[in-house]
Amino acid sequence: MSRRLHIEVFRYNPLDPNSEPHMQSFYVNEYDSMTLFIALNIIRDEQDPTLQFDFCCRAGICGSCGMVINGRPGLACHTQTRDLPDHIVLHPLPVFKLIGDLSVDTGTWFRDAGARIEAWVHNDHEQFDPKAEEVRMENDLANEIFELDRCIECGCCVSACGTARMREDFLGATSIARVARFYLDPRDERNEENYYQVIGNDQGVFGCMGLLGCEDVCPKHIPLQDQLGIMRRMLAIHSVKGILPKRVLEKLQHKGCCHESH
Amino acid sequence: MDASTLTLHVRKNGAGVGRLDVMQMLSGVLLIVFLWAHLMLVSSVLISPKLMNAIAWFFETTYMAQVGGPLIGLLIFAHFLLAARKMPWRAQETNAFVKHSVMMHHKDTWLWLAQVGTALLILVMAATHMWVVLTDLPITAAKSAARIQSGTWLPFYLILLPLAEIHVGIGFYRIGVKYGYITKANRKWYQRLENYMMGGFITIGLLTLIRFLFLTV
Ligand code: HEM
Ligand code: SF4
Ligand code: SF4
Ligand code: FES
Repeated sequence: MSRRLHIEVFRYNPLDPNSEPHMQSFYVNEYDSMTLFIALNIIRDEQDPTLQFDFCCRAGICGSCGMVINGRPGLACHTQTRDLPDHIVLHPLPVFKLIGDLSVDTGTWFRDAGARIEAWVHNDHEQFDPKAEEVRMENDLANEIFELDRCIECGCCVSACGTARMREDFLGATSIARVARFYLDPRDERNEENYYQVIGNDQGVFGCMGLLGCEDVCPKHIPLQDQLGIMRRMLAIHSVKGILPKRVLEKLQHKGCCHESH
Repeated sequence: MDASTLTLHVRKNGAGVGRLDVMQMLSGVLLIVFLWAHLMLVSSVLISPKLMNAIAWFFETTYMAQVGGPLIGLLIFAHFLLAARKMPWRAQETNAFVKHSVMMHHKDTWLWLAQVGTALLILVMAATHMWVVLTDLPITAAKSAARIQSGTWLPFYLILLPLAEIHVGIGFYRIGVKYGYITKANRKWYQRLENYMMGGFITIGLLTLIRFLFLTV
């Protein structure tokens, strides 16, 4: 039995002085395994060609279709309409700059965050030899790094974060997990103090309030909660080195942490 | 002393926000332990008023109440200063957070608002409670019962009890999350534990209040 979906969409074009933010209703007949991506395209093709929203891969890979779906940030291409009620309300992701309707600019935000956490491999090598054989890495470690590298920068975790919405300069779980990725990577030769300098502050790990909106919405199921805990504990311990006795610190460090082996 | 003592242009290694975060966490942990210990001591009246009097006598002859009381007061004040760094003092921040909570209908997000709300009431009420008790030593079951039977103090405690337990229960859970002890794997279990603990402590507290209410003095 197919339903008739009532899809309510936020409409606003910030570039048009006459545009007023408002909600607009569309109706679409549901069919089997329909995703929001399909529903929105039907609306744009058949009902309103001016509707703005972003898509590229329609397979949960490019990260461009993040939007607020009935209150929760998520990927439209990853969301099947049968998992939603008849009435679907869509908003653009908060925190990011609005381009128009459901389309936001996540790129500028992520570029800025990447620069602030210095999201590249740091080392003191004199030069890079492109002909040298790549340094080998244990498969388990490579998998662990890849697990965090799977982030598609969709921005859902940032929009789901109360801290990020209150405080514009908060780096968000995605950036902290990104630093965790470099922390795991033996090719990145940054020490704890170096990491402390980029995220050991209220904009980074210590700004996070542990509300876990990020963890609960991430469409790629990146282990954000666990990484936030690991990084915060590591950097908190770093900040009290020399105050608390070494043995206590070591004990704290080696608990429930998956970074043990390296 | 080095350049970092004089100018913000030079950072001191390791120092800074991390230490404040650790102190906030420690102040929270100490207060959790205190609140549970406090509840155990007071609820000893459930076993017998004599036991409660004996415990109170012990804490006073050893001067633990006279010294410890104000120290707890200081601890609460230090905790307030540290935790207040996170509170949404600007109207714009509160507005953003409330809208966010309504949008997300997500329990852990609401929990934080509950913690901030309870905090403000506790600030006033805990101070009042401590003043009243510590300026009227020694502590005896009879005096506590008289206060609660006098009428005005019963509603006061009926409000302060759940506020404190909710604040501390959420705090316990969130310290675990923030420091990575509560992980994806055991989060559900801890959420349940947190609920049982809050429920259990509020129940013991209520029973204690009822006991005081009907204690003949
Ligand atoms: C005096 C007034 C108080 C204020 C204004 C206050 C404020 C706060 C705030 C805003 C937080 C959240 C901090 C964050 O999000 O990082 C918090 C956490 C907490 N509070 Fe309080 N609080 C007060 C009293 C108390 C008392 C009396 C107790 C216990 C008896 C307590 C126990 C805790 C615990 C265990 C936490 C978690 C600590 C953490 O997250 O690091 N608080 N408090
Ligand atoms: S961590 Fe998850 S929610 Fe956040 S940007 Fe990456 S994929 Fe999206
Ligand atoms: S756990 Fe931290 S990063 Fe994630 S939503 Fe909460 S405050 Fe934001
Ligand atoms: S369209 Fe690429 S993630 Fe949805």
